[in-house]
Amino acid sequence: MAEGYHMLNRRTFLKSSSLLALAPTVPVFVTRTARAAEPAKDARVLVVVQLDGGNDALNTLVPLKNETYQKLRPRLKIADKDAVKLSDNFGLHPSFRQADKLIKAGQLLAIPGVGYPNPNRSHFESMAIWHTAKTDPEEYKGYGWLGRALDTSGGDSYTITNDVPRALRGRRSAAIALTRLEDLTLADAGTVKNATGPEAQQDLLAFVRRHAVDGTTAAEKMSAMAKATDGGNYPGTTVGERLKLIARLLKADLGTRVFYTVQGGYDTHATQQFTHSNLLFEFAGAVNAFFADLQTAKLADRVTLLAFSEFGRTIKENGSAGTDHGTAGVVFLCGPNVKSGVIGSLPSLTELDKGEPKMTTDFRQVYATVLTDWLGIKADVLGGSYETMKLFS
Amino acid sequence: MKTLDPVWGVYTPSDEAPWDLRRVTHLHRRAGFAAAWDELQRDLKDGPEASIDRLIAGKVSLHSPSEFDSTANLLADAAVAANEPGRLKAWWFYRMLFGPDPLGEKLTLTWHNHFATSIAKVQDLSAMRRQNDTFRKLCRATFGELLNSSVREAALLVWLDAPANRKGHPNENLGRELMELFTLGVGNYTEADVKEAARCLTGWTIEDGKFAEVATRHDDGEKTVVGKTGKWTGADLVRVLLENPATAKRLAWRLCDVFFGEKAVSPEALQSLADGLIANNLDIGWAVGTILRSKAFFADANIGTRIKGPAEFITGSARALEMFDPAPSTLALADWCGRMGQDLFEPPNVGGWNGGRAWVGARSMITRANFVAALVDGTNAGRPKAHDPSELAKRHGLPTDANALITFHCRLLLGGDPTPALTARLAKGMDRKMVALLLSAPEYQLG
Repeated sequence: MAEGYHMLNRRTFLKSSSLLALAPTVPVFVTRTARAAEPAKDARVLVVVQLDGGNDALNTLVPLKNETYQKLRPRLKIADKDAVKLSDNFGLHPSFRQADKLIKAGQLLAIPGVGYPNPNRSHFESMAIWHTAKTDPEEYKGYGWLGRALDTSGGDSYTITNDVPRALRGRRSAAIALTRLEDLTLADAGTVKNATGPEAQQDLLAFVRRHAVDGTTAAEKMSAMAKATDGGNYPGTTVGERLKLIARLLKADLGTRVFYTVQGGYDTHATQQFTHSNLLFEFAGAVNAFFADLQTAKLADRVTLLAFSEFGRTIKENGSAGTDHGTAGVVFLCGPNVKSGVIGSLPSLTELDKGEPKMTTDFRQVYATVLTDWLGIKADVLGGSYETMKLFS
Repeated sequence: MKTLDPVWGVYTPSDEAPWDLRRVTHLHRRAGFAAAWDELQRDLKDGPEASIDRLIAGKVSLHSPSEFDSTANLLADAAVAANEPGRLKAWWFYRMLFGPDPLGEKLTLTWHNHFATSIAKVQDLSAMRRQNDTFRKLCRATFGELLNSSVREAALLVWLDAPANRKGHPNENLGRELMELFTLGVGNYTEADVKEAARCLTGWTIEDGKFAEVATRHDDGEKTVVGKTGKWTGADLVRVLLENPATAKRLAWRLCDVFFGEKAVSPEALQSLADGLIANNLDIGWAVGTILRSKAFFADANIGTRIKGPAEFITGSARALEMFDPAPSTLALADWCGRMGQDLFEPPNVGGWNGGRAWVGARSMITRANFVAALVDGTNAGRPKAHDPSELAKRHGLPTDANALITFHCRLLLGGDPTPALTARLAKGMDRKMVALLLSAPEYQLG
């Protein structure tokens, strides 16, 4: 296997070198990959999983021996005895038994009460805030926190979603969206290359052309890695398939530092018990399988996974056995290099602001820590100064 | 009323802005799904007024079968009966490709995006089809009629958890999206308004697959929404929101988003259109007519400055190349559209598709190129024969040498003669490969 990796890496490098000779028609991200071709093999990787729709934090990371919690959730509460104990005060939703191996190995860290001041309860607005790390409406329509980070460090990102999420959008960095490998294979590469044409003057045409070039180059890379090992025993869920595809791309060693995917469905306004349980079951199972696969491929040490949601849900269950849009939520970090258990504290469930808890950790502190202590990128791309935390071992 | 901004004045052909093939193809791309050569020639001869009248009247296509309505209904009925989402998506492609009213289909698509609802949660094809027919029926009505019907569609009520919203047990989902997405837009209401709006909407539910109000579940107390106080019902809430000027502004934005390219409408012109909408009872038909006849619409700044969406790209290519008999499989077209990022009946979230530059990325460019290869070849688009450019040219009495074919296809698909550089690029492919080159070119992604 080691030899296979070496050969693949070498082939990728050679391909990039030959493309360099074609400059200046080479897209930005290829020249960067070529430049970073040697060290890329050991570079640290961040995988982001967006739990879309607003994950019910309180029933995900459950406060143990907490009467207030139990009163707020007459129908939805998780009993202490059912929770998967993570620390003296916290247990995970029973669905996290699916991540048994990960938890036993001390490779799962939960951070409760993560949010930002003056929480916004619109999916789109709050998601935009998490994606850009900006809370000013004028600013959170702009480039994403990871896009900006990659603008400074170089490197491309892959997203296993239909569209490129705002978090990955940068001024220069290229994000490639795909949901299956065939999405990056060209039926008639020759024709498409001929179609691209020269550099364009008009801004919009230049934009389209640049992505056409990115497309042909990505297709070339993908055909080079098509023979990479498959492997891994994943649950047949959407999020499982998506993490499996990320593992394949990791094994192909394209020099990519940031991967992104989404698990949808967390907007549980009504009769949420089974829905929420299933979502967490699928999430925990997929993450567990992902790290087991990476362990076998000897890649796990290079990878940290971050899972977040745009907000938590109302701490009090609603009249339809669901929960509505809330405020601070839980963030997960997984992998061999993160500290285990729980870091940070549960927001008070009685001292509230507009009926909901006040955040205890600013999400930008988590981002700043991941950037500086994991990716080795200066956190000033966040556009402010945020105290880092001790999240990595 | 205030006078409309002069850019909304009626376009009349001039030396600077002639009524030529460029403007005729522009009109059909934006107001419909491109046009076949005979339709272009007809409109070139008849002039802008008659051409736009035809679009507005929904009598454009020269390739619509006489039994179109009954076939379309059969297809939808069968899709619903078989409970196959793919077939419902294919039904819509049948309508876009063969229907006599491309503008109506484009507006239907616009309202599907505005009131974005997904099968993924609704899980009821019958309700999704009914909602789609409502969008189509009211696509040119007043926004009041469209909004009032749309928010009472079963599919939307399920999608936004309306039945769970009861007196004493508020569920904010419908109230929030009603203000943020359907009417006012972000920044024009507060969190307190959302809570009050949810109270207004308590009691709305679905009975026997249809909208119903349950008086005992309705909170009949006093509410204050966007500064207006009363014992509002859901209907009152909709009325209050319709009267708010922010709604007219958002409606004007939505229509300009569909019919204009990047930066082709100034903020002043947008506001002027919003004022006009208020003076015209938010009449969508009035606004669409005003837009399509306007100087702004036919201005150079608005031609070729918009990225075609997947449904436009796919349907427009098939229509312009006259792939009617045999036609590609509409099931295949719907599938390709989803792969390009626009899965009809399954928008990514309640916000719909972002459109514009978000349509373009490395992967979507690969998918567009693969679709083009499939379309001209036939096989992977479910069409029993390949595209033959010479045959198409002959059908219209045009020469079939390689250079003439390049010129003809550029006129048909780009609305003008190719530059020498483009001719050289296209000459790298022969016959249908030349057409594949043209459809894969960055220039063709704009419209």
